[in-house]
Amino acid sequence: MKEFKPQTYQNLLKSTGGVTRENLFSFLGKVQGAFGYVPREVVCDLAIRTGLSEARIYGALTSYVDFKVKVEAGG
Amino acid sequence: MKESKVLTQRVGKYEPLDIKAYQALDGLNGLRRALAMAPELVIEQIRQSGLTGRGGAGFPTGLKWASAAQEKQEPKYFICNADEGELGTFKDKVLLDGDPWAVLEGILIAAYAIGAEQAYIYIKGEYEKTAKLWEKLVGEAEKAGLLGEGILGSEFSVSLQVVRGKGPYIAGEEFALISSLETRRAMSKLKPPYPTEKGLFGKPTVVNNVETIANVPVILAYGVEEYRRLGIEEDPGTRLFSLSGDVKKPGVYELEMGSGTLKELINELGQGTAAGQLIKAVQPGGGTSAFLGRASIGCGLTTQAIRKAGSGIGTAAVIVYEEGKSAIDIVKGLLEFYGAESCGRCVPCRIGVVKMKEIVDTLSCGNGTEQDLTRLRQIGKACVAASTCGMGQAFPLPVLSALELFPEDFEAVVQKVPA
Repeated sequence: MKEFKPQTYQNLLKSTGGVTRENLFSFLGKVQGAFGYVPREVVCDLAIRTGLSEARIYGALTSYVDFKVKVEAGG
Repeated sequence: MKESKVLTQRVGKYEPLDIKAYQALDGLNGLRRALAMAPELVIEQIRQSGLTGRGGAGFPTGLKWASAAQEKQEPKYFICNADEGELGTFKDKVLLDGDPWAVLEGILIAAYAIGAEQAYIYIKGEYEKTAKLWEKLVGEAEKAGLLGEGILGSEFSVSLQVVRGKGPYIAGEEFALISSLETRRAMSKLKPPYPTEKGLFGKPTVVNNVETIANVPVILAYGVEEYRRLGIEEDPGTRLFSLSGDVKKPGVYELEMGSGTLKELINELGQGTAAGQLIKAVQPGGGTSAFLGRASIGCGLTTQAIRKAGSGIGTAAVIVYEEGKSAIDIVKGLLEFYGAESCGRCVPCRIGVVKMKEIVDTLSCGNGTEQDLTRLRQIGKACVAASTCGMGQAFPLPVLSALELFPEDFEAVVQKVPA
């Protein structure tokens, strides 16, 4: 099981060169790839960075089968 | 029947990340020509070439570009739709994996023509290897001066973002794809306004399919006249046919438009049906196209001829069904897929697909009545007439055509005297 490491997230941010609404969707894909889910901390942080509400980001995330918002057993 | 390899001429001939090898095979000639022209002239060339969209709807590409180019709003976006989700379609993958530079070249020409500085390629989630290849390709392209500021020494700048899809079938639809890129649910929208007026983030956006965009460098490199020698007057160029289902040799075959018949494609290139049975039905344009019966498969491989035969060329995904299968089982499989994939935005599709699936389930259990067949037709027709996007308008077509072509399959399971 992969766990959320703030440092890994910081590195992802750095290698992407900043997150805006224009690349948020693909960035969330990278977060999902790194941790196996999109952690709550990340959603909070990205909401601030992009000026979108957390609800808006969760609304999108939970509508895609390939995004997870919780650690899944065996994931 | 012979294949004409135009778009697929370089597939398998070079290491996908090697730009030098691509150039050695006459790559980038189209882009160089385009950059030497004014953007309006590039659009004019595409318009004259008669190129139409290869993603299913068949909209004229030049017209789409022109309407985005004339919009005053900035910035503009270009999106290459590599989310090929239509059942039976796997042609774009061949180009994305086998000749990615040609697709990139097409993207650059398109972005230049419409005046976009940001381009996206939205790759189907299941194509993981393809997405990884493209992520590396972007790095290589930046090194080679093909992405970023001042491309090939010109004043044109563009950057490309590789986006991986996250599952839904509907994300292949223009507006749903745009919603997805905006980090929203993948859902269609009422048109107009079209994406060329109000697309991604409300800005003018062109969305083109991979195969469509792979035609662009060919048109620019060889010239309109040479390109129009391929295919026929109403249908210039070639098409990649994804042949699948009950055939001995499934695969992607590139054919000039009008170069033969559906039957020849199945019997010669596909080497006949898998178990040697007669053909029962064929879907010539992917999972949402109407069935053609055995009597109609002599039709030519052109948009017009297939439409006249009673179906549509769609994504040119030819799915073959042998005798021995019940039409009910076939449509049941299709409805199961589309039922899970309806985005739920509009009522006819959201409810219609579920109701139709329920009726077909009842029929396949042997509990159906004549009334159920009537209802199946009614709901199907209502969905076609009232749905917002291409999916809702098209998924009932195979069901409706199966009811016409194979009434005996349905009659056989219907209870004559209602219980």
